[in-house]
Amino acid sequence: MSGHHISTDRTLLGVAGGLLILTILTVAVHYVYIPEPWSIMVAMGIAIFKATLVAAFFMNLYWDDQFNTLLFIASLAFFALLVGFTLLDTLFRPEIMPAF
Amino acid sequence: MQHHFVDAEQQFDAAKMGMWIFLVTEILFFGGLFAAYIVYRLWHPELFTMASEQLDTLWGGVNTLVLIGSSLTVAMAIKSAQLNQKKNIAINLGITLALAAVFMVIKYFEWTHKFHLGIFPGEFYTFGGIDHPQANIFFSLYYLMTGLHGIHVIIGIGLIAWLLWRSTKGHFNSEYYTPIEITGLYWHLVDIIWIFLFPLFYLID
Repeated sequence: MSGHHISTDRTLLGVAGGLLILTILTVAVHYVYIPEPWSIMVAMGIAIFKATLVAAFFMNLYWDDQFNTLLFIASLAFFALLVGFTLLDTLFRPEIMPAF
Repeated sequence: MQHHFVDAEQQFDAAKMGMWIFLVTEILFFGGLFAAYIVYRLWHPELFTMASEQLDTLWGGVNTLVLIGSSLTVAMAIKSAQLNQKKNIAINLGITLALAAVFMVIKYFEWTHKFHLGIFPGEFYTFGGIDHPQANIFFSLYYLMTGLHGIHVIIGIGLIAWLLWRSTKGHFNSEYYTPIEITGLYWHLVDIIWIFLFPLFYLID
């Protein structure tokens, strides 16, 4: 199977090290007071960056056929649509849920 | 190689693309639950802050590192296959399997600790330690999402155990390692989902 990118140990260990540091950062940021809504945005921003590292370098998207990256991005786009349209309803209700 | 493919390269690429399409469905599968989480957290932000304290940040963090480690080792297993290092394939898959098992053991203790306190999903909730009438919403979401994730970990354990067995039989080499590649992709997604579950449940203010 020629033409398949083989990652070096250095790359894989480097990415794992980065994920370790970002995990520590995620927890550390939790103990620092950040006003709403920035606290959730910082937490999600770090999580998104970690997920991007896993997708690009562990799942090999960085070196892979770009169609697979397109599939991945498309799923996120449809997820955004799902949440966006749902919130257009739920955020504007006068009473949240009548029987609950 | 199967007859409907031009060459082994195309067969491998088709398998990879097929797995990515499945992962798209998985993202939207969990996405529905993440959408529910977002809706309820925006309706009851104070509840989420209070209820999150019942979750142990330490063990959540340990589990995060466990899964990240297992993603590293499964990537190493693929690399071993690509370099035809047959013994290392089995070793790396074995470590991945062990880390996955550690994750489930920690999860088991987390859940049973909560059951002990009366924290159950939905209408079975009997814990009095959170001063909010709808405290069970947070825990229903917690059990649903970490439970569904846990089911995916168990499925992954089964798949990786099967790969480990096949690798000891010498089924994989630098010419053919497709099952490891696509199982690895599945496993990385399980890791990514946990990367989001951890801050959303364990690290709320």
